[in-house]
Amino acid sequence: MKIKNTTLMTLTLALGLAGSVYAAEEGDIAPDFTLPSIHAEAADITLSDLRGKVVYLDFWASWCAPCLKSLPLYNDMYHRYKDQGLEVVAVNVDNPIEDGTEWLIDTPLDFLIPADPDGVVPELYEVFGMPTSYLIDTDGTVKLVHMGFRDGDMEVIEAEVQELLAAQ
Amino acid sequence: MKQLPRVLALFLAFAMISGCVEVRPWERGYLARDEMAWDSDPLESALNDHIFFSKEASSGGSSAAGGGCGCN
Repeated sequence: MKIKNTTLMTLTLALGLAGSVYAAEEGDIAPDFTLPSIHAEAADITLSDLRGKVVYLDFWASWCAPCLKSLPLYNDMYHRYKDQGLEVVAVNVDNPIEDGTEWLIDTPLDFLIPADPDGVVPELYEVFGMPTSYLIDTDGTVKLVHMGFRDGDMEVIEAEVQELLAAQ
Repeated sequence: MKQLPRVLALFLAFAMISGCVEVRPWERGYLARDEMAWDSDPLESALNDHIFFSKEASSGGSSAAGGGCGCN
């Protein structure tokens, strides 16, 4: 029995050390970052520059099917609410970046798309699935963390966006 | 105290287990690459398989299509 306890304690300790997580959660200040745009000619994108706007931050890649399904819908949402102060930032994590830019040729998106092939920012946010998105209010606080993208998710996201835009 | 080496070995073993599987969610694109697939070209491997079982008069045990009816 004594050996069993020791094994269990060791296991807990070892796995506990390995899995320390500092995820960006609802109520936290969204970690700031600066990344180059995926479009070579566009300016760098800094999250804190967008304070005062409601920011919908998303992580996507061309190999992630639900991401590709969601992005055109985010584009529609962006056009509906940009005049009310919504900004969409969709961080691309494709490596090589060309995988992302090639997909964008057929599906042009009008919001900000930073390129992060080394995955520095998803590491910062401890993204635990693809896609994961963060709804950030005008003060830079994370209001909603949304993982995955299924039918009906858009309504939930849009309702939250409307609520935040109305509150500002 | 006699258990210390054993505990240490266990600790290291368990700690290393978690080091093996670190493919982060945003890195899964690497797993989706063609060269990571068992068969990078499904058509070619189907043809190879067909040639193989024709020559060897053997079928099954591979990923060939067919429900085991013996009529392939």
